[in-house]
Amino acid sequence: MNWKSLLRHETFLALLLVAVLIVLSFQSDRFFTVSNLLNQGRLMTEIGLIAIAMTFVIATGGIDLSVGSILGLTAILTGVFWQKLGLPLPAAAAGAIAVGTFAGFANGAIITRFSVPPLIATLATLALYRGLAEGISQARSVRGYPDWFYVLGQGEVLGVPTQLWILAAAAIIASIILAYTRWGRTVYAIGSNEVASRFSGLSVEKTKLALYTASGFAAALAGVIFVSRVSTTRSDMGTGIELDAITAVVLGGTSIFGGRGTIAGTMIGLCLIQALKNGLSLAGVKGDGTIMLIGAVLILAILASNLFERSGTR
Amino acid sequence: MSAVVDLPPTRPASAAQRPGFLRRLFADYGQELVVLAAIIALFVVVTMVNPRFISANNLTTIFSGNAYIAVAAIGMTMVIVTGHIDVSVGALIGVLATISGTLAVAGYPVWIAWLAPVLVGMTINACIGALVAYARIPSIVVTLGALSIMRGGLISVTGGTWITNLPPDFLIAQKSVLGLPVPLVFMVVLTVLAALWMRYSAFGRSLYAIGGNAEAALATGIPVERRTVAVFVIHGAFAGLATILFATQLQVIQSTVPPNLELTVITAAVIGGVSILGGSGTVIGSTLATILFATIGSALIFVNVSAYWLRAVIGLLILATVLADMLRRRGRI
Amino acid sequence: MRNRVLSALLALSFSTSLSHAQSAAWTGGDELPTNPLACDATPATVAAKPYDGGSPTNAPDRKGKTLKVVDVPKLVGIGYFNATSKGIADAAKEIGTMDAKTDGPSKANIDDQITLIDNYITSGVDGILFAANDPVAIAPVLKKALAAGINVVGYDANSTPDARQWFVNQAEFNGIAKAMVDSMAKETGEDGAFAIVTSTFTTPNQARWISEMAAYQAKCHPKMKWLETVEAQEDNILSFNQTNTLLNKYGDELKGVFGMTSVATPAAADAVTQAKKCGKVAVVGLATPNAMKPYVAADCVKSVVLWNPVDLGYAAAHVLRAVADGTLAPGATSVKAGKLGDLSVINGSEILLGAPTVFSKDNINNFDF
Repeated sequence: MNWKSLLRHETFLALLLVAVLIVLSFQSDRFFTVSNLLNQGRLMTEIGLIAIAMTFVIATGGIDLSVGSILGLTAILTGVFWQKLGLPLPAAAAGAIAVGTFAGFANGAIITRFSVPPLIATLATLALYRGLAEGISQARSVRGYPDWFYVLGQGEVLGVPTQLWILAAAAIIASIILAYTRWGRTVYAIGSNEVASRFSGLSVEKTKLALYTASGFAAALAGVIFVSRVSTTRSDMGTGIELDAITAVVLGGTSIFGGRGTIAGTMIGLCLIQALKNGLSLAGVKGDGTIMLIGAVLILAILASNLFERSGTR
Repeated sequence: MSAVVDLPPTRPASAAQRPGFLRRLFADYGQELVVLAAIIALFVVVTMVNPRFISANNLTTIFSGNAYIAVAAIGMTMVIVTGHIDVSVGALIGVLATISGTLAVAGYPVWIAWLAPVLVGMTINACIGALVAYARIPSIVVTLGALSIMRGGLISVTGGTWITNLPPDFLIAQKSVLGLPVPLVFMVVLTVLAALWMRYSAFGRSLYAIGGNAEAALATGIPVERRTVAVFVIHGAFAGLATILFATQLQVIQSTVPPNLELTVITAAVIGGVSILGGSGTVIGSTLATILFATIGSALIFVNVSAYWLRAVIGLLILATVLADMLRRRGRI
Repeated sequence: MRNRVLSALLALSFSTSLSHAQSAAWTGGDELPTNPLACDATPATVAAKPYDGGSPTNAPDRKGKTLKVVDVPKLVGIGYFNATSKGIADAAKEIGTMDAKTDGPSKANIDDQITLIDNYITSGVDGILFAANDPVAIAPVLKKALAAGINVVGYDANSTPDARQWFVNQAEFNGIAKAMVDSMAKETGEDGAFAIVTSTFTTPNQARWISEMAAYQAKCHPKMKWLETVEAQEDNILSFNQTNTLLNKYGDELKGVFGMTSVATPAAADAVTQAKKCGKVAVVGLATPNAMKPYVAADCVKSVVLWNPVDLGYAAAHVLRAVADGTLAPGATSVKAGKLGDLSVINGSEILLGAPTVFSKDNINNFDF
């Protein structure tokens, strides 16, 4: 895989996104407005943060299915630390994020120390972390946070939803790391050929451990933002979010076998899905029709880009 | 355990050359034995707490109530052994159950209502397999897409109406053969046939070769593409068979996709010893893993685990089984 | 290694079995205060409360104009919300000046529901009917709808009062609890032991009912014995398996099973039927009549508790029309709801549909939903 073929999928996807935006704005005059688009940005932040970290994980040929459960666990702990332990809310949120990050670290440790395949390890922790969230919360919700806390999930900074700044910052930092640092190249190397990377002296285990920890951190951060957006905590928060994030990542051109993928692709994939969900709804298509179309777009986009690629490089 | 060394993860070497029947058994079926040991341990412990655990009724609940998951996991195992995955199987079973139930209520002979899900499942999965094999789209992408399409489509078409008034003849999962519940018979017979077929037929052996190294398999003359489609078709047939059990267990069919069924089926396959990288694993393992989950679910109620902590304990037990197997492999290296 | 697994399992099982504390509250209930009804049929005296709902900002005059209404249930694809959506459609047809459509998440998921409502606010509807997956989580988006001048009316599952204008209450929680526990006591006797099959412990309505049932049972049927509550998601095979496990675990001790959802109750009835324990183990629960007909006809289930969900949707649509017309304003004591007649206002900003219906063999065939 060379750089040209990498760029090709993202270009294709970006064109598709533009086409979709144009078509949808003709369907409803309320779609292509600044306030609607910013609002959509607010709604896609949690999946976006998780998808960014997931891009790294999948680029190494791994996967992290436990992110939704980590999100739920962090949400519950934020509430429990604040209400039951009486910590100040910032400390409670930081503590919860620390635990979420540790949950990601534990995934990484199981995967690297015990050589458990990522899919199996995170399937097991998917059940475990969700179970911990349910057990700790005793199925109780924690509500009634102070108003300033809602700025994170419901407020705006300079006219843009607060969490969208966080997503943008995360996307930019992650793109730089993945594209321009030695560490980013290590990620691709592991994904292309793990054994060869190990023999060429790259710190495979450390990199993977760091990635799963980062994935846990992203999910935990998304959890706190989610709590602030919906103003309550529940142990079932984030159920199924892993498949949404993976959909955005693979639609964005990251190979599930590892070795290729970009943050730009993931972000375009994410925007495409969100635009379809929102635009079709505004155009009067029901939710079940929308998810069918997203499924079809996923298959067709990868199919089309495969065809382009083959005719181009072979 | 304290002296963990950073060994490169090595694929377990085929230990066929090692002497001794037990060692060979352990080498070939290590994960299966770990799962079996866990099941037996659970049975012993829980029966000591509450002897009703091994009453005939409870054994029926454990073995028969979840047989459809085991049957679906057989197909999933074959797909994963070839190095692919299918996250759409839950949605597929939902669609097939609706088709089967609709036919039964419409008055078609029951054998048509039973055969239809198998045939439709094979057809749908033939399309999925073709996209994977010939269009070279990774299976997780195709099946993620198929999952959305089928889940959305099912609600669009049925509008969520349940199917009731099923004819009594249709409800095969509630019948018994020679005193054994039909789902149990399905599970055992299909597992044994599939296990023998995968171990001894040329076709079955070739799946391991494809999963282990597709390029090498191609070089040795295995038609990788055609085999891939065939595996998905067989998986579709098993999904259809699972549907028959699923749809006939109760007197009503819920027309929504069973929540998280695909994760349960995949977990059963991988915990049962199927390496997600392909190339190893048996359907005996996946069936045993299904039984393990069913046993855990039942056992935790029997030993009065606080319902709030139930899922955490299930997660811990799954993790323990996985780690035990990894330590076992580590011990062998 | 096998020994290690074995010992780990042993340790786990024992430690967890010890951790099961026999607490006073039933598993699955919530922490809110309860208000059990009197043991006989004395109606509760309700203190009048001032209007505590919200109001839309700068709502245009919608009197007599055709309303574009969206109905967002907890999830689509289950019989119960099909019925409410049918009721809404019936009412819209009857009213004539209402254009209603139903669109809900395919999973009972707070996030999907919020996103859907947000999209409909942007698309510019006149009215939103909702059944909340979570009373607090849905509040911000509903307040946003009110701020956009949209009329917001809830049914089935409430939000915080200030996030909507009115809520059509199908039956009060303590009323349901009384109907359920009384039915069970009638079938199992005053000293029967029973268990509960619910969806998840986080579902607010179910948690509320379980708490009210616990309070009412302690007050009026003190000798009945609650054994345990199990979760079964919205999954009928799991509900079936969980009920079977309960039957196997308690054997003859178990005299009754409560199904807390329209998915769990038929599955529990099926488990009892297949275990050939009809008549020995009572099944009482919330369910739609169509799914329960086979079990009621076979005399395995004596009573099914539910309000009429078609009427619930029908009433909600009429309330929305009345709010938009300005005929239902804060301070009103009743509202006209088409063929249902006058419905009374309770708790400040709630409209009561009526007492729950108990379906039995005699009347179940009169209902089709």
